[in-house]
Amino acid sequence: MKKEKVDLKTDIGGIELKNPVMTASGTFGYGSEYDDTIDLNRLGAIVVKGLSLEASPGNPPPRVVETASGMLNAIGLENVGIKRFIKEKLPFLQTLQSPTIVNIYGKSVEDYIELASQIDDIEDISGIEVNISCPNVKAGGVAFGVEPIAAYNVVNGVREKTSKPVMVKLTPNVTDITEIAKSVEDAGADSVSLVNTLTGMAIDIDTRKPILANITGGLSGPAIKPVALRMVWQVAQKINIPVIGIGGIMTAEDALEFLIAGASAIQVGTANFVNPKSTIDILDGIINYLEEKNIPSIRDLIGCMEV
Amino acid sequence: MLQEKVEILWNKEVGGLYYRLGLKCDEGFADTKPGQFVMVRISDSYNPLLRRPFSIHRLIEENGNVRGFEILFKVVGKGTTILSGLREGGFVDVLGPLGRGFVIPENFQSTFIVAGGIGVAPLFFLASDLMRAGVDSSKIQMFIGGRSKEDLLCIDEIKAMGFPVHISTDDGSLGEKALVTEIVKNKLTNTRPDMIFACGPSPMMKAVAGIAEKENISCQVSLETMMACGMGACLGCAVEKKESSDKYLHTCLDGPVFDAAILKI
Repeated sequence: MKKEKVDLKTDIGGIELKNPVMTASGTFGYGSEYDDTIDLNRLGAIVVKGLSLEASPGNPPPRVVETASGMLNAIGLENVGIKRFIKEKLPFLQTLQSPTIVNIYGKSVEDYIELASQIDDIEDISGIEVNISCPNVKAGGVAFGVEPIAAYNVVNGVREKTSKPVMVKLTPNVTDITEIAKSVEDAGADSVSLVNTLTGMAIDIDTRKPILANITGGLSGPAIKPVALRMVWQVAQKINIPVIGIGGIMTAEDALEFLIAGASAIQVGTANFVNPKSTIDILDGIINYLEEKNIPSIRDLIGCMEV
Repeated sequence: MLQEKVEILWNKEVGGLYYRLGLKCDEGFADTKPGQFVMVRISDSYNPLLRRPFSIHRLIEENGNVRGFEILFKVVGKGTTILSGLREGGFVDVLGPLGRGFVIPENFQSTFIVAGGIGVAPLFFLASDLMRAGVDSSKIQMFIGGRSKEDLLCIDEIKAMGFPVHISTDDGSLGEKALVTEIVKNKLTNTRPDMIFACGPSPMMKAVAGIAEKENISCQVSLETMMACGMGACLGCAVEKKESSDKYLHTCLDGPVFDAAILKI
């Protein structure tokens, strides 16, 4: 393990992380999937696959397709449900030093509220990421993330039921993401994470059919990074709670761009598929950068962009 | 499971669009089972971005030690085009071995091994493993089909294993002019194996699974699906289970070799 001489601690709204490198929900399973490949204890936090009240089978295949410098997915939030998660998946996560953040999604405001209450008294869950941005489920998900009042209602409901830090994951598929960000801040969110995937599609020109069974899917990977970075910068200007940057982060350089733009931490998503050691490589790269530039603390970097 | 940049020992064109890629890997592959696969990152570029799954075609051994493995691949798109251009001494990033391979039942009486096109890749490994385990060659019959004679691979090596090999092509350019599944069906009228192992394109897998079900013969199929991670994180490689239309298995962890009876294919 690399000796960390620089101060990497960062506050993401009620949770102080030992470093800013988190995993993005939906790209890291329930953590144990990566136990063979990396030292999970080095991660700033682990955000698990989006959970619903009941187990969900997800969408029919094909669910993924590669596009230029990116991929489309329409997994449809396949998950084991909150009860099985707590019983079967959480015990492993509890053995780790890295905090666990649980991503939740519902079909109604009541679902979100119920999920939050079930999680609230579990000590080893450090925070909740409220997913109001999945583009691949028919009911709920993104429906709450594209409209400021609907977003407010979900987050307000969750806020009333939990004392845990509440992070809200935002969709880029809106006219003005800062409006949604302000709305969830008003509703009591402790932080916002952005962006979720951009809705896209791909067509097989021989069969003239969509490649994904769901027709549309969410675009992720390096292709979306400039868009995500712009949105993180815009949101960071407009709200007073921490912003977590997500979107096509493949390298330490990508992560540093997000931090400089105003993100207090970052989440690594699609890169986990390409290189399962991405999170650790990114963390080591950030440390090297700080050391080489004689920057004592990561906090000196957050939002330091000069225009 | 290992993730490592490994050296290319050879990358030989074996006719048409097919290549044999030998990769040096001194550790991690000694216990590889036929049917398991690797995810290969073909270049450091973002385009193509994702790794590509390939079944392990054979292990490379030296003095009884496994020192690498070979994949047999067909050029079908951007990733495999780049892969076909890589040369001895170059490197690719490998993740594996992954997934569940073929399960060989104890004391089986006889088997049909059914390959379609590039589907021969893991079945060659399976057949050599069976022969190596001392299985009597009279217990095995292999069926190899393809569109045309260029699509039939490893024929001489497989014939040299000593069991009957039935060859067919869609265009009649080699062996019988028929679908491999038709040859299997005909053979079943006078021979009844207690296990069918199959790998090939989706329509063929469907046909083989259908034949096995009708004849009440156990059948294991190796499937290919699009996947991003190969290790159970992305959940992209879903395949539908038979008993309930809303439940899925995943090619990377539950497969790529499945008992055909549990799948809706």
